Amino acid sequence: MEQESEQTQLKVAGAESLPKGRSGLRIRGWLIESRNRPILTSRCVERWEHEIETSHLPEMVFGESTLTLLHLESGIKIHFNALDALKGWKDEALPPVEVPAAAQWKFRSKPFQQVILDYDYTFTTPYCGSETIDPNEAEHKTGAISEGESCSLLWEDCKEKIDLVALASKEPILFYDEVVLYEDELADNGVSLLTVKVRVMPSSWFLLLRFWLRVDGVLMRLRDTRMYCCFGSNGNTKPVVLRDICWREATFQELSAKGFPSDSAAYSDPNLISQRLSILLHKTQKLKAPCMMRCTFPLVGNLV
Amino acid sequence: MSSDLDRQIEQLKRCEPLKESEVKALCLKAMEILVEESNVQRVDAPVTICGDIHGQFYDMKELFKVGGDCPKTNYLFLGDFVDRGFYSVETFLLLLALKVRYPDRITLIRGNHESRQITQVYGFYDECLRKYGSVNVWRYCTDIFDYLSLSALIENRIFSVHGGLSPAITTLDQIRTIDRKQEVPHDGAMCDLLWSDPEDVVEAWGVSPRGAGYLFGGNVVTSFNHSNNIDYVCRAHQLVMEGYKWMFNNQIVTVWSAPNYCYRCGNVAAILELDENLKKVFRVFEAAPQESRGVPSKKPAPDYFL
Repeated sequence: MEQESEQTQLKVAGAESLPKGRSGLRIRGWLIESRNRPILTSRCVERWEHEIETSHLPEMVFGESTLTLLHLESGIKIHFNALDALKGWKDEALPPVEVPAAAQWKFRSKPFQQVILDYDYTFTTPYCGSETIDPNEAEHKTGAISEGESCSLLWEDCKEKIDLVALASKEPILFYDEVVLYEDELADNGVSLLTVKVRVMPSSWFLLLRFWLRVDGVLMRLRDTRMYCCFGSNGNTKPVVLRDICWREATFQELSAKGFPSDSAAYSDPNLISQRLSILLHKTQKLKAPCMMRCTFPLVGNLV
Repeated sequence: MSSDLDRQIEQLKRCEPLKESEVKALCLKAMEILVEESNVQRVDAPVTICGDIHGQFYDMKELFKVGGDCPKTNYLFLGDFVDRGFYSVETFLLLLALKVRYPDRITLIRGNHESRQITQVYGFYDECLRKYGSVNVWRYCTDIFDYLSLSALIENRIFSVHGGLSPAITTLDQIRTIDRKQEVPHDGAMCDLLWSDPEDVVEAWGVSPRGAGYLFGGNVVTSFNHSNNIDYVCRAHQLVMEGYKWMFNNQIVTVWSAPNYCYRCGNVAAILELDENLKKVFRVFEAAPQESRGVPSKKPAPDYFL
């Protein structure tokens, strides 16, 4: 019964599920697909360490898990993966955050040889998604094989905002999933978690990529990227995608000074406490595809 | 008396928690047994060594299917019975009831999660409150945690501990002198045994970038094994996708016994079987099938997140 009504809902919205074994749907010119896979094997971890040039990765890297949103006509692809996110972590390279016990440890007698490691064990990343435009992926491609790389897209600051009123309406959700990209328990000193959630409705898709960090007794950090695309009424050649980036942070000390609880157990759900954290950065951007023409023409040229 | 206990064990095997009064009585009996154990508890072979369980009750049942039932199989559990999973109460109480019923056939040592402070953040405290409506059961259990031994020595050849080594410890006798009946401290030898990790990038000792927590390299393990005349160290504490992992030329092995950790990692788990000649067999196993466990289904419920 339930499945039947789901199928009806999809049909009414002009959408269709992906074949069995895949998770996602096609809707209004978009192919939206999620993949949830196990954590990397030890051998893969070694390969990634080599590629990212680090000797430390989060203890749970869901390296094969992805979310992809492909606009079939233009070849615009927005996707989310752990590898790009961890490259962002490596580049940002924030200084380490000391846990409360560190104060006591400074007074410990030191062993003969002691090295202090200094990588950012919180795996904080500025990652806000990956995007490419690859006309080769476009459905109307002429059959030519692309020789060039896919082009990069650009995000431009804009005045428009994501339409939260439209998103608050209880339109049916045709597709929903959550993909964990990586997670670390900070050796039981808190949590570092990068996830992306998506929901697709008859009129739009919406997603939230969230980096959530709690270092127990020290600080919390929330880096949210929201993306929204309202399906156009016409030919859909150029989708309008908005992206809202919001970074928040607070120390436990600041929270307790404001009269909020300061025990870590009170901060297990970032949804409930995000408003208590101060905003460090907030901007809305719009997706631009400047090199689309350049990419397309040589392909056609080759054919001729 | 033992028939009562046998009934409780059967009940716990069905994943049904005991009454609060039964938990209290069980903990008192367990305390009498554990208080007599050494900080370096001697264990005879054959024995099967298990790593972290983390409240994954139905996966622990898979472990017993693979390794055999207690008391037929002699078990050594390396701690982290509670937190993270959905059934910390039933998991820990079953292990504790087996300990009281067959004290010489199962050894439980302490992990860093067997602590008042950690269980308040990572699940066990909330689970007790939810299942019993009060925190009494959490109190009885955390009081018992203070009595758990810190390490085990199998046939004088294999040293087993939850986390790892400590710069404050060069001989096993130094572990024997620790006063363990306390909450896990934030530093010192007892803290290190439950918290430290082996690390490839250091040769001797390293301090975690958190500013607390020791990392030890191959040289440290070589000299520890040599001074104490042991073959290798067996520890748990870190998730390993393949269930177990050797390091530093087979001088230390990590054993991980929580398959599909946190119900989403997709990893396998392992236990290490040692026969009477200490010959090793790693038994690798997977998580209990979805239908046999009472956990929420894999697909997340649609949510109008903003």
